[in-house]
Amino acid sequence: MRGLKKGSLSQQRDKIESIVYPVLFGVLIMILWQTGVLHKMLNTDDYILPYPDKIVGIISDNSDMIMVNVWASVEVALCGLFLGSLIGYIIAIAATSFPTYGTGGLTIVSAFNAVPIVALAPVIINWTKDVSSVAEERSMVAKILVVTVTSMASMSVNAYRGLTELPPFSDDLMKTYAAGRLTEFVKLRLPNSVPYIFTALRVSVPGSVIGALVSEYFAEYIVGVGRQIRENILIAQYATAWAYIIVACMIGIMLYAMLMIAEAVFLRKRR
Amino acid sequence: MLLWIILLIVLWEIFASVVTQTKRTPENVMPHLSGVIDSIFSDKRINGSQTAFEMIIENAGATLSRAGIGYLIGIALGFVLALLMSLSGVIEKIAFPYLMLIQLIPILGMAPIINAITGDIAVSRIVIAAILTFYPVATNTIAGFKAVEPAKHELMYSYAASKFQIYTKTMIPFCIPYLFTGLKISAPMAITASILVDTLQGGIGLGCLLSQSLKGAMTRYVFWDIVFFSAFIGILSFYLMSVIENLLCRYKRAGGSGKKG
Repeated sequence: MRGLKKGSLSQQRDKIESIVYPVLFGVLIMILWQTGVLHKMLNTDDYILPYPDKIVGIISDNSDMIMVNVWASVEVALCGLFLGSLIGYIIAIAATSFPTYGTGGLTIVSAFNAVPIVALAPVIINWTKDVSSVAEERSMVAKILVVTVTSMASMSVNAYRGLTELPPFSDDLMKTYAAGRLTEFVKLRLPNSVPYIFTALRVSVPGSVIGALVSEYFAEYIVGVGRQIRENILIAQYATAWAYIIVACMIGIMLYAMLMIAEAVFLRKRR
Repeated sequence: MLLWIILLIVLWEIFASVVTQTKRTPENVMPHLSGVIDSIFSDKRINGSQTAFEMIIENAGATLSRAGIGYLIGIALGFVLALLMSLSGVIEKIAFPYLMLIQLIPILGMAPIINAITGDIAVSRIVIAAILTFYPVATNTIAGFKAVEPAKHELMYSYAASKFQIYTKTMIPFCIPYLFTGLKISAPMAITASILVDTLQGGIGLGCLLSQSLKGAMTRYVFWDIVFFSAFIGILSFYLMSVIENLLCRYKRAGGSGKKG
């Protein structure tokens, strides 16, 4: 920003404005919050909505404790995301190979997406009671499965589009090369689906964090950022609960930023 | 698709049979579907005065009406914000990064604190459903406004159309399909949010009934009834939006060509 001179192109001014305005807005909100104006607007007090400096203080004081819960949640979100995306992709491949039955299966999978997580989480926790005798382990498995189911749909629907919406005549070209179905799949369909995989992940990465937090509410073993928000509110430790909320937001933002970086790396190689 | 539904039912029944053989309380893990359906229509009183069916309908009314109010508020706010963003460059620049950020924030994780701030479970259900509806509607509507072809703007300009006319005649009709994309995403989310908030506190609501049944305050079949009911409502809300979209868009197309002819 410093390198820009006066009278630069309007495009550059546009760019600066689109950074400065939101930052100013954010600063304004923080000032309103710290000075207590926000409390008056929301009709609440500094006990339920503590000042930002207090929340930051709690995060830095309890960083060890918070990190344990962060890892528990991140592990659930990432394992579930990986499993769900893998299964979703396999479903998409199956639907591409056997279109007569496969597309119906896709409809069913996307219908699963509309099933509320709140209904799903207790059911899956019920089913995984026998997985392990340790409460920590079986809660983990249950939570991962919840995230798996929630991230399956977006991957299968998007990957199916990536595997079937090919550039015009490209499959005809493959046929003139006398390519088998496997060659056609590896050389044409698989690379074609990569951008669609990222489209799916843009939806399912934030979704997996939400899935992890909500499934923690119902899990037996008390661990994770989502559960800590709830437990701390139950014992009226609102400031600690806010610290975990801020941490939860950071997790969502960090994972998405990592996805953006991965996307930039992978999609640049292709071009 | 019918084949898949039948396959799913068969699979469920096979597992349910296995569970019945091996568990002492099969209805806690995986009951037969017939048992679930029976429990919905049986006239056995569960809490002294109501049958399972009456109880679920009453609680669903409380949950869904608030999800519905929140949904409508969220649609209105999201649409107005998108409109403001498209009218004013400054508002767009301020709001756009925050619209992106709010998608990454697990709002459902914030449910308990919103409940604490509002102090009233009914209000917090509405608030959370509204927030969850608001941003998919806003982002998709703004995408719709941006997708209007320049040629359409040029045509309206050549007609000397006012800003109001440009919006009512081209921009808003054009963004309707985009708006519905947002509505389809957020309808099941609003319902999920409302049920989740129920589980946080006692009182009336599907989520409340769900956690009571899980804790063993009443027969476990109530839990299964609610699970199937909310799954059904979630899927139904999605398809309902598709049906409304088809109805609206067919009308738009017919109306548009009629005027031109």
